[in-house]
Amino acid sequence: MNWELIGDILLATVPLLVIFPSMFALTTWVERKALARIQNRIGPNKVGVPLTPYGGNLSLFGLGQPAADGIKMLFKENIVPTGADRLFHLLAPILSLIPAMLVLCFLPLEFPWLNGEQNSVKAFMLDGAVIFFFAITGLNTLAVFMAGWASRNKYSLLGGMRAIAQMVSYEIPLVLSAVVVVMIVGSLNAAEIAEAQAGWNWYVFQPWGLAAFVIFFIAALAETNRSPFDLPEAESEIIAGYFTEYSGFKFALFFLGEYIAMFAISGLAVTLFLGAGGGPGVEALPWLKVIWFLAKVCILIGVMIWLRGTLPRLRVDQLMGFAWKFLLPLSILNIFIAGFAWHAKKANEGTAVSVIVWVAALIILYAAAKGLDHVNRAKVKPRTYQYGE
Amino acid sequence: MNEVTAFWILAAISVIGALVAVRKRNLVHGVFALLVFFAGLAGLFLLLLAEFIAVVQILVYAGAVGILILFAIMLTDRVTGKDAFRVTSRGSFWGAIIALAVFLVILLPTIREIPLIENATPKDMIVEQSSVKELGTKLIEPYIVTIEVLALLLTAALIGAVTAAQGGRASEKGENTE
Amino acid sequence: MSLLGGGIFKGMAVTLRNFVGSYFDKERLTTKEYAWRTDDKLPERAGDYPKEEAEQLSDTTTVTHYSRNFPMLLHDEGEPMDTVRCVACQICERECPPQCIYIEKSKDKMERGGNKAQFYPATFDIDVSVCMSCQICVEVCPFDAIVMNSQFELSTPDRFGGLLLRRDDLLKSNDYYHKIHPEEAAARDKRIADEKAAKEAKKKAAEEAKKKAAEAKAKAEAEAKAKEEAESAEKPAEAPAPTHTDAKKEDNGE
Repeated sequence: MNWELIGDILLATVPLLVIFPSMFALTTWVERKALARIQNRIGPNKVGVPLTPYGGNLSLFGLGQPAADGIKMLFKENIVPTGADRLFHLLAPILSLIPAMLVLCFLPLEFPWLNGEQNSVKAFMLDGAVIFFFAITGLNTLAVFMAGWASRNKYSLLGGMRAIAQMVSYEIPLVLSAVVVVMIVGSLNAAEIAEAQAGWNWYVFQPWGLAAFVIFFIAALAETNRSPFDLPEAESEIIAGYFTEYSGFKFALFFLGEYIAMFAISGLAVTLFLGAGGGPGVEALPWLKVIWFLAKVCILIGVMIWLRGTLPRLRVDQLMGFAWKFLLPLSILNIFIAGFAWHAKKANEGTAVSVIVWVAALIILYAAAKGLDHVNRAKVKPRTYQYGE
Repeated sequence: MNEVTAFWILAAISVIGALVAVRKRNLVHGVFALLVFFAGLAGLFLLLLAEFIAVVQILVYAGAVGILILFAIMLTDRVTGKDAFRVTSRGSFWGAIIALAVFLVILLPTIREIPLIENATPKDMIVEQSSVKELGTKLIEPYIVTIEVLALLLTAALIGAVTAAQGGRASEKGENTE
Repeated sequence: MSLLGGGIFKGMAVTLRNFVGSYFDKERLTTKEYAWRTDDKLPERAGDYPKEEAEQLSDTTTVTHYSRNFPMLLHDEGEPMDTVRCVACQICERECPPQCIYIEKSKDKMERGGNKAQFYPATFDIDVSVCMSCQICVEVCPFDAIVMNSQFELSTPDRFGGLLLRRDDLLKSNDYYHKIHPEEAAARDKRIADEKAAKEAKKKAAEEAKKKAAEAKAKAEAEAKAKEEAESAEKPAEAPAPTHTDAKKEDNGE
């Protein structure tokens, strides 16, 4: 037995299992508070830390709410519908959590206690980390479908089918926008991609990088079933879709899996476009890299919450049309633009050339997006209301 | 815990998954058993340090093909997954014979031809460059024409599929309103 | 030429303004916290509050007039049980989709407001943990006896007994109804008054018609008799039939 290796592996993985679930707990509270404030409500503000068992309550803006929710979830009755497939009904939440947890390993999180020899396990330094990420997050679709099918409920099945259609469609722009960065760096290794962006050389500052980041972020919202793409779990249409028949701890697992997937995909976006752990002061204090990485992830999560509070849900055909008619052509064009820009820069090193290329690429991409928007809208007739007004 | 133990565990998962996939009457259960088989196979590839093939195994088979099969099942009347349907497989005997023949005539001679390193672990066979990089280089350098032709063929097939799917509904164009 | 995705940014600006504004401008907040609820004491039964709390809860400024929560039973002025409108017809019990209403009819009949003596509910329970606030009971009630209450603060530590509202909890005066739903109550009262007036008018008309009919009948009979007598004097064998049918027609017509 190689105890040192096991120790290293624990040092590398246990922080992931601690940081992200605790961030999940905090995020549920932040999300509820933020959504409440966006709607001019107060949000959870009562549950605090009980000081004594007999009363006395330290209410830190309702910060005890996640703990209360967790305890409630744990003690709730586990209800399985009569006609349900009991095995699959049990497996689905587990299968939804595992891929989400697994892909966290591929993020280039450089924990300060992992140096030198131990560096080999700081993340799973597979050469195909990015492609591994996409392969494993793709399995989440199966869990959603499994839940929808096993519940033996028409709403659940509808939710599961919607989830498959949506995730399969949005996976293409997601991967194609990531391809741009992989192409420029010349590596699928997450750590190498992070290194290539060191010193404010973030890809989001390039026009093709910006376009890819926007496409990636939109597709990531759809992949994680976040609003405005939360059709598979649309409460008002199909009664929470594949969640309908889940309660108690199984539901908590689904919930956890969904949020961990959000963190993971935000982490990948940070790795690919936002310079991973890069930020002010990392040369002097390398441990700041973890802080910057998690801070950037939190900012992206914050934008996701903000968008959830802002945008209404899309219709199914709009959702599909947006993926296939807008994001896909744009991301393919973006690959070409990135290739040309890279070659133009490589051919001549002058500042003037790079500025011209930068501006030209931005104009072309914006014009293409605008044109696609125009073409897609041209087919849509203005809606007339029979009983409106 | 070494590679051999891992191999036997993964091999058992794969074989059991494959057997369940073949024997299960419930189609959806069968598909998921097939996915377990794919996952086990990916694990075996990973054990051989062929990580790229492992990824592709998960991405293409577990991800895409599995979902495609599920979609196909959802379009049939066996959505419910009731076991009452009798799966008619009259040719199972001949299928087994053919599988055995393929194993004996093609696979066994091929395996015998590969020189085995005695007591070798996969670590002994690590190439200098990682497999992803090598694969990429090989694809671009000697086989670039093949790749391009294949890509063209697949694109043509895709466009053809879209055209075929749209053919019947040409008259409905421009009917949607926002 | 508008900015692509500009609508999203506009919307995000609005939500950001709400988010930040709700921390500085208390007027924005749509929810009000109960300042008087300082201790953690909950009432034994749903809706059982100390008097001052109850007053504050029934303060119509806290909720809109159009809010509705769970049903209540109306009574007119006077002692609640003497003037309860419900006659225990059990229509609402039958129509209630989640079947949260339980009614037991009284054995004896009771006279209310000068109307005919009717039954009254000996038991009238509504399980508010089951009720879905659909208002169907209100729609079907022919006596305007059940309407929606807007009281929402119903938490109690007893989830079975505490959430079962008994008849006496449900009884609320018409004045209270006017206080929480002024427009609806006024419309309902007007309708009841109109219906009553219409009924009385109809009754009057019916009485008059009856009187008329009786007069007409008497007249017809008298005429017929006179005719008969006259005819029997002249030609006893002819024409009694047509007059008979005429009288019948008149009768039917009334």
